Amino acid sequence: MADSAVPPVVLVEHLTKYYGARRAVSDVSFDMRPGEVMGLLGPNGSGKSTILRLLTGYLHPSSGRAQICGFDVVSQSLQARQCVGYVPEDVPLYAQMRVDEFLTFMGRLRGLEGTGCARAVADVVERLSFGHYRNQLIGKLSRGYRQRVAIAQALLGRPKLLVLDEPTNGLDPRQIIEVRELVRALANDMAILVTSHILVEIERVAHRVAILLDGRLLGVQALSESRMGLEELFLSLTEGEPQ
Amino acid sequence: MRVFSALLDKELRTLFQAPIAWIVIGVFLGLMGYSFTLTLFNNRYATLVHIFFQVAGLLLLIVPIITMRLLAEERRAGTLELLLTAPVKESHLVLAKYLAGMSVVLTMIGLTGAYAVVLGLYGTPEWGPIYSGYLGLALLASTLVSLGLAVSAFTSNQVIAAIVTIGISFFLWMVDTLAAMLPDGLERVFISLSLLARFTPFATGAMYTSDAGFFISTTLLALFIAMRALARR
Repeated sequence: MADSAVPPVVLVEHLTKYYGARRAVSDVSFDMRPGEVMGLLGPNGSGKSTILRLLTGYLHPSSGRAQICGFDVVSQSLQARQCVGYVPEDVPLYAQMRVDEFLTFMGRLRGLEGTGCARAVADVVERLSFGHYRNQLIGKLSRGYRQRVAIAQALLGRPKLLVLDEPTNGLDPRQIIEVRELVRALANDMAILVTSHILVEIERVAHRVAILLDGRLLGVQALSESRMGLEELFLSLTEGEPQ
Repeated sequence: MRVFSALLDKELRTLFQAPIAWIVIGVFLGLMGYSFTLTLFNNRYATLVHIFFQVAGLLLLIVPIITMRLLAEERRAGTLELLLTAPVKESHLVLAKYLAGMSVVLTMIGLTGAYAVVLGLYGTPEWGPIYSGYLGLALLASTLVSLGLAVSAFTSNQVIAAIVTIGISFFLWMVDTLAAMLPDGLERVFISLSLLARFTPFATGAMYTSDAGFFISTTLLALFIAMRALARR
């Protein structure tokens, strides 16, 4: 669990993002400590994925700032990205590549080489238990295994922050449980920021939850300190808000 | 450099493993072989000038087919998000894709070197114009590949990328034909932008550094535009 004495892995201050005239993220601030699992919760279109894209460097903020491991995501983008493993929502992978080939490629992008890269690939494959699919074409894998491959690439290079965008989307119940267990296990080694629009998914894995609506952060709450359940908390924070 | 070589390896593998590169190379060589044989038997001149112009014309059509997928496909499939959230510089990504595209086109052009060998074996060609012609083709290819890459950076639709690149390439190829209709100052500008006007001296054995400089600077400009397109976040 998070220790408030250590420096934050994620520091977000007054982050705002416009798409044209539309404000997708509005003055959002929060932080995350090592070992912490934070859930970003909100309905579709509330700005969850945009925040993740701002933190991972795929988008640049219109104003405000964000740091990963002390590196600014805009001015020190490469260093910040080196600290992050990211699994986008739709699990984009190279369908024509074999699993091993893809993981080796992603490892090399993270600066791993030769035997070090091969060892790192073997580690993540073992951790996510898909060794028997290493020579399979990614395009032929089921959604569940594609998700594992996507998480595996995000773990290469031992990132300090793992960012998972709707990681249980499209998975069957068994796969959802596996992802949940994996998130819990990984939290021993890194901070994890996970989004979902499903309350129970966040409640089962997160230490803290940030609730978003319409791009605004309505509140951040440690689940262990909350007297109410996540459903009640969500309703109390969103009560009276325009939908 | 490690990241760059990983990107280049992946691009080369993707391009050369896909059937489209080999189909394009095959069709190109078939057409050029036919044209070379026919012209040689009819004219009996040991020259490649006509081949250089035909290759250049075909490049206007073929290069966009090779470049259309380079970034548009990454954007469509969402894999651009994977690449740009990894510790990868946009410049490395663009350069790797440019070099991979160039390697296909240069392979294609290089294989037509067999015609020069045939001329050398059975005739006495002037080698100067042959060397300058190939240099001109490489420079023209460089401009066209970087142009196609820049267009591909703005869309997620490969067909749109190909059509727009063909349109711009043809316009730049024959833009000097507009010159006669324009006032003096503009006339010179349009002639200086013409790919045909810049390529012709190379194909006929005259090399000017200004023409080489034009191809190099348009390549750099297009690569810069591609990088800026990726950096727009």
